[in-house]
Amino acid sequence: MNGKTMAFLGQVFRDFYYKNAERISAPIRMNEREFGYMSFNKVMVRHLSFQKEGELRVFLIKEAPHSVYYSCAYYHEPTLAMEEKGWKGADLIFDIDADAIPTDCKEEHNNWVCKDCSLMGKGKRLEKCPKCGGMRIDEENWVCPLCLEATKSEAIKLIDFLLEDFGIQKKSIKVYFSGSRGYHVTVEESSFEGLDQMARNELSDYVSGVGLSLESLGFSKGVSYESMYGLLPLTKDPGWRGRIARFFSEMEFEDYDSTGKDNRDKILYIYGKKGYKGFVDLVNMIVKKLSAKIDVMVTTDIHRIFRLFNTLHGSTGMIKKECDDLIPFDPLTDAVVLGEEPIQVFVNHSPKFTLKRNLFGPYKSEKVTLPLMVAVYLMGKGAARLVDYE
Amino acid sequence: MEIEFGIEDLAKYPFLREAGDYVKELDLSIEDLIQEDYRPAIEKAKKRVLEAIQKNFISSEISEADLEILSFPLALMLVKAIGIDYFMYRYSLAESLRAERLLEREKEPIIFHIFKSAFNVEAISIEHSVFDFKVNIVEYLKRATNFHKPEWKLINRVVEKGFVYLKTHELVRLIREEIRKMIYGRMKSLSLPKMPDKLKEVMVEISNALPPMSSKELQSVTPGNFPPCVTHVLDLLQKGKNVPHYGRFLLTSYLIGIGKSVDDVIGIYPKSPDFSERLTRYQVEHIAGMRGGRRRYKVPSCRTVITHSLCFKDKVLCAKIKSPLQFGREPIAPKRKATRSRKP
Ligand code: SF4
Ligand SMILES: [Zn+2]
Ligand SMILES: [Zn+2]
Repeated sequence: MNGKTMAFLGQVFRDFYYKNAERISAPIRMNEREFGYMSFNKVMVRHLSFQKEGELRVFLIKEAPHSVYYSCAYYHEPTLAMEEKGWKGADLIFDIDADAIPTDCKEEHNNWVCKDCSLMGKGKRLEKCPKCGGMRIDEENWVCPLCLEATKSEAIKLIDFLLEDFGIQKKSIKVYFSGSRGYHVTVEESSFEGLDQMARNELSDYVSGVGLSLESLGFSKGVSYESMYGLLPLTKDPGWRGRIARFFSEMEFEDYDSTGKDNRDKILYIYGKKGYKGFVDLVNMIVKKLSAKIDVMVTTDIHRIFRLFNTLHGSTGMIKKECDDLIPFDPLTDAVVLGEEPIQVFVNHSPKFTLKRNLFGPYKSEKVTLPLMVAVYLMGKGAARLVDYE
Repeated sequence: MEIEFGIEDLAKYPFLREAGDYVKELDLSIEDLIQEDYRPAIEKAKKRVLEAIQKNFISSEISEADLEILSFPLALMLVKAIGIDYFMYRYSLAESLRAERLLEREKEPIIFHIFKSAFNVEAISIEHSVFDFKVNIVEYLKRATNFHKPEWKLINRVVEKGFVYLKTHELVRLIREEIRKMIYGRMKSLSLPKMPDKLKEVMVEISNALPPMSSKELQSVTPGNFPPCVTHVLDLLQKGKNVPHYGRFLLTSYLIGIGKSVDDVIGIYPKSPDFSERLTRYQVEHIAGMRGGRRRYKVPSCRTVITHSLCFKDKVLCAKIKSPLQFGREPIAPKRKATRSRKP
């Protein structure tokens, strides 16, 4: 990003914070949290603290940073070095990122660029450049309504785990679109607050289906069907057992006719047909389908900082936005906050993309006049630069 | 669920606060305890300690509830007086295993009550074909992450609306380590009264029966178990008083002798204005045999300590030793029984 573009983005952000200061709200227990920010020239500043909402607003207008973060953790002294802060507890946070969820659309809108010979190609990044053999390959990931919708359905699965299994109150769960490519699901003011990394790892393994044993579903090698029968999961069972039983009950299997039969009969029938090994593979596949694809590292990091809600994401110009109602939420519309005044930019490269229900691109090495929100989106991604006015 | 513990319950779980209250109400001094009436309590305490340390097992049979309750704090005192951290650990572990066995067979309301009052965990009993209790998921996680078998992983449990389902033995297993820590903590914070000779005799009997320790275990010898001559030198040092040269030699050679590192020993010497760490290090390393002739200096014998007027002999505990190193550790030759059993 060149200096002019950077300065322009800073001015746009400052303007936004100035006009929308009252939209900036403090997280609960703000003075116990660490704040940090990154400037447009990618300098990271951490260990800040704010006492009042007003201070935070003034700071945003003054600094107009690329990104603003706050800690999930509560500290005695948030401004001290990490070992001296005095950890009191932390919100339980889950992060779901579009990049981690395989979707077909990525072949369309993601691409790679060789840093050595500038060769470009569609889809997932290659190990090695096919032209020059170079290994320095950049990935350019974009999002579209399809992959963001897939990300959202992971969030919906996750929330079901939080409510039904973990017993977390609906009012303690907040869901945010991150402002770029995913969702943050935050649990505040709960008894989970004091849990350490190991305990949080158990929670994240639970929702992401890691470590489920066949024994917990009632299967054991070398045991007769009769003695296993009573231990197999029922559709009305809570937790993973119920989820898996319901999957089996809805699943079509060869020409199995379930009329007049118990779901346990069906499970045993499939078990018999598949054999132990085949059955393990089937259950793994089911677990993969039913689990929520969260970033495990995020949930177990009890000192992590997260983008502050209602602030702008420097790579997109969208805001991190709370989704009051997740189902109809459309991130590429609802999180767009910048205006539509025309701005002329030079676009290096961009695939077709959607913003505020309009289709833009594809562009390749061309000057275009675009609405501000789109121009910022491209400049933030590093795909475009400002064109001088003179 | 309002429920009062009966004396029988307290005898099963003497680590409970309620059992402590019961003992307090008896208002017995240590002098009372060595009277003949309480002999069985002391005997029981001795049995507790020996079983724990030798077999890692404390019998859960209870003959007289009040003696059983009393024997517990007495046993804690005896173990603490041995002064070796390793035995405090072993003892607390054996007590927690005893509690575990009893709890597994316990009535649900009593389990609920114990979990609630001692650990602030609500163990709610449930009607279920497989499970007996449910506990809050957060309380479960705080403890279960110490276990590494797959069946303790949250994903392999039945989890519903913030509760984890458990069988009785799993519930009890979950809490066992806390019982151990609780008992261990009690021993750690216990301040020992001046031991009447009768109790010291019991201690000697216990010391005689202690199993030999590996060198790693030896390193956990704590100040409480230092012989009086060494403790005296330590006292002088801590009070900033002048320590005769030979006193330093006794302390240093003793600590090296029980397996402390040179750094540990240097750390014991306080930083006084005239303190020169380099000099201390030099002297300590010299005694440890790391300098000069590389000869490790032996701990002086009790006789030598006496000639330097540094001996503060304890009538009972120093009775049969020849070196400070033997204090509280080296088995004392068992008393010969007056009569040998004869074949009929
Ligand atoms: S008898 Fe030996 S161990 Fe006891 S105080 Fe005297 S010198 Fe120290
Ligand atoms: Zn190349
Ligand atoms: Zn997509």
